[in-house]
Amino acid sequence: MRPHAGAALSRRRFLSLSAGGAAAGAAALSGCAMQVSNAVSGSGETVTVMAKADDISPELIKQAQKDIGVKINTVLYSTSKLIAMMTNGNPPDLVRGVGAVDAPYYAARGVMEDLDPYFAKSSVLKLDDLDPVNDLWRYDGRTQGKGPRYGMAKDFSQDSMFWYNTGLFDEAGVDYPAELEPVTYEEWLDKAKRLTRRKNGQTTVFGGSYNGVLTPNLLASLTVAAGGNLFTDDFSRVDFTAPEARKALGWYIDYCRTKVGPSIIQPDPNTWDGPTFQANRLAMSNSGYWLGGLINADKKLAPLSRLAPAPFFEGGTRVSPCQAGTGFWIPSKSHNKDAAWRVFEWFFGEAPAKARASGGWGIPTLKSLRSLMPAQEDYQKRVLKVQEAELKHYSVIAFTPYATADSLLGLFNQIAPAAMNGEMSVDTLARRLNSAMNEQLKRGKEQVG
Amino acid sequence: MTVDQIPSVVDRCGSAPAAGQSRPRPHTSIATRRHRAFYMFASPWIIGFALLTIAPMAYALWLSFTTFDGLSPNWHYVGLGNYRELFSDSQTWNSLGRTGLFAITSVPLSIIAGLGLAVLVNRPLKARGLFRTLLYLPAVVPPVGAGLAFKQLFDQNSGAANGALNLFGVDALGWLADPYARYVLIMTVLWTAGNIMIISLAGLQDIPRELLEAARLDGASAWRSFRSITVPLLSPVLLFQTVTGVIASVQTIMPLLLAPDPTPAGITALPQSNYLYMMHVFAEYFAFGRYGYASALLWVLFVLILVATGLIFKATSGVVFYNVDPEAKK
Repeated sequence: MRPHAGAALSRRRFLSLSAGGAAAGAAALSGCAMQVSNAVSGSGETVTVMAKADDISPELIKQAQKDIGVKINTVLYSTSKLIAMMTNGNPPDLVRGVGAVDAPYYAARGVMEDLDPYFAKSSVLKLDDLDPVNDLWRYDGRTQGKGPRYGMAKDFSQDSMFWYNTGLFDEAGVDYPAELEPVTYEEWLDKAKRLTRRKNGQTTVFGGSYNGVLTPNLLASLTVAAGGNLFTDDFSRVDFTAPEARKALGWYIDYCRTKVGPSIIQPDPNTWDGPTFQANRLAMSNSGYWLGGLINADKKLAPLSRLAPAPFFEGGTRVSPCQAGTGFWIPSKSHNKDAAWRVFEWFFGEAPAKARASGGWGIPTLKSLRSLMPAQEDYQKRVLKVQEAELKHYSVIAFTPYATADSLLGLFNQIAPAAMNGEMSVDTLARRLNSAMNEQLKRGKEQVG
Repeated sequence: MTVDQIPSVVDRCGSAPAAGQSRPRPHTSIATRRHRAFYMFASPWIIGFALLTIAPMAYALWLSFTTFDGLSPNWHYVGLGNYRELFSDSQTWNSLGRTGLFAITSVPLSIIAGLGLAVLVNRPLKARGLFRTLLYLPAVVPPVGAGLAFKQLFDQNSGAANGALNLFGVDALGWLADPYARYVLIMTVLWTAGNIMIISLAGLQDIPRELLEAARLDGASAWRSFRSITVPLLSPVLLFQTVTGVIASVQTIMPLLLAPDPTPAGITALPQSNYLYMMHVFAEYFAFGRYGYASALLWVLFVLILVATGLIFKATSGVVFYNVDPEAKK
């Protein structure tokens, strides 16, 4: 019997209306979501890019429209926003990422598109032209650096290298590091101590800054330089009590204790070395080639500044990894992958890539673009010579897929200050880091399955 | 007869119209119309409250029973597991203790400072309006800007605070590190005491002048008048400021704005004394990706705020003076 209008609402009628309402609500909600997607993807020639403000300028967006006829909408990069967009099934089409740490994490969770088929067909991004740094964006289900490609770096640096200010070395009477031969980490710290100048409880010149890109991959790199590995073979655990990792950790804690440079117990209000180095208040900055973008633009600073190879540990291995490899990836649930790939090709292989290569803010990730790196001035030629020699020592240092670098950094930040302030021994710190980080990795492994 | 008892038009019309006649539009009672009007006017708030408060809280409650991290495919229900873990998490207890200490310190200090300023600018001073404006100005500075300014002022190597100390031959201090960071945090709260000043000033201006004049004629000192007349009559305002102050201090994100690196992972490098409960929640959500656990932390905080508010009301029930006209109640 059809219920007639005005009849009391039966339970069945109520349930059917509720179900209908829920379906309509869901449709409306998904319609809202799709509407965003449609507005974004349009006819297939509009792409949503989640990036930081510096990654894609408004001029570049206009250029994309002109060069490849694709409209780019940008969403400011934020991990929580990315998760929210992915959770509601409407991810951006291209997402910024730090290849060294993000690639294994996201790939292991199946949210990245395998780009091998796209690379195979591309006439712009040829596999034999890709710099080995792009291997940071590969993951074979177990190890970073092998398997399918999930993204690409826009440019890179070997982030264990350091710049130094010859003027401050001269003032302190400290010998310059050799041009192509690396100093040991111990020598680096010794120089930093001698270069540091203090007055009235304030540091007027910092001897050296050595914090890597993110502390967890800095520690992983230092451990490899000491001849070991921070992570176990299956990347499910860390072991800071192993001799090599202990040596790396001990050196970094020594660096923080001596307060020759910024650290979490002596933070730099600028949050990066550039302004302090430019103000002639930092003698050595652990930054790779990219800092040359800032240095080259300062005609007083550039002739005083030199780039030096990555230090090594006595008895260890000479390695010079990239700790970032920042670039872009395409989410597997992107609604507009082909247009995203077209932007990807253009951004990594065409006009923007050439402009970045000649800007000096990083080494191009296509070998064919290396000739565009700035080499007009003597100081640029000197830097380039050191950089070219250093490329031979590049290798991928694989990061765990079971935790974000932020989460391991968070744990380090919570535990390590006591050791940096001399209130805890490095051995105790090593044990406590093992305990906290392995718990986090265990949770991550359970989540990935 | 009350409004509710007025018969509706339909009632007064008697029987329904005969067939073929156009049916008159049914009239609703005044009470029904009033109810409708109430819900119509209140509905924007009710809908907003349901969508933006109840729904997120319910979602967070659901999350608090899971290991959800936003991306991983294998999250699962853990029942009360997150709540059990919370009780054995030293970071939770330590940050809660610090937050309690911060509330106990900052709320009375800011109320005293705000009230003191209100009393000062309530006096017949020259350029009183200017003083009121100047003292209130810091309260309208966006917190992000205030955080940046404080970071620059108190930077160890280039800040003005250490510059001033050096002038007196005192060595620079690490203001933004332990153990001084907590004092800088309290200073940021006191800096915005203009908010409390404005509300207290309104309360002060509500105090009948004849009471104060009568006290003065009876020989009461200024302090005695303040203690026996001003404070009791201001007590509802002070209670309001206490309750909102406690809630705001427990939920404060000011340490985040004072952080050298205000990113999810950067928060974890805060000096321990400024690692308050909300910082712990923020880190668990966005640095450690533990949405379930962080949601449990938030729900516990919600309950604690309810309990603290209840306790404040209970503890002050005998001392807060409500100036209500007893006739108006009848």
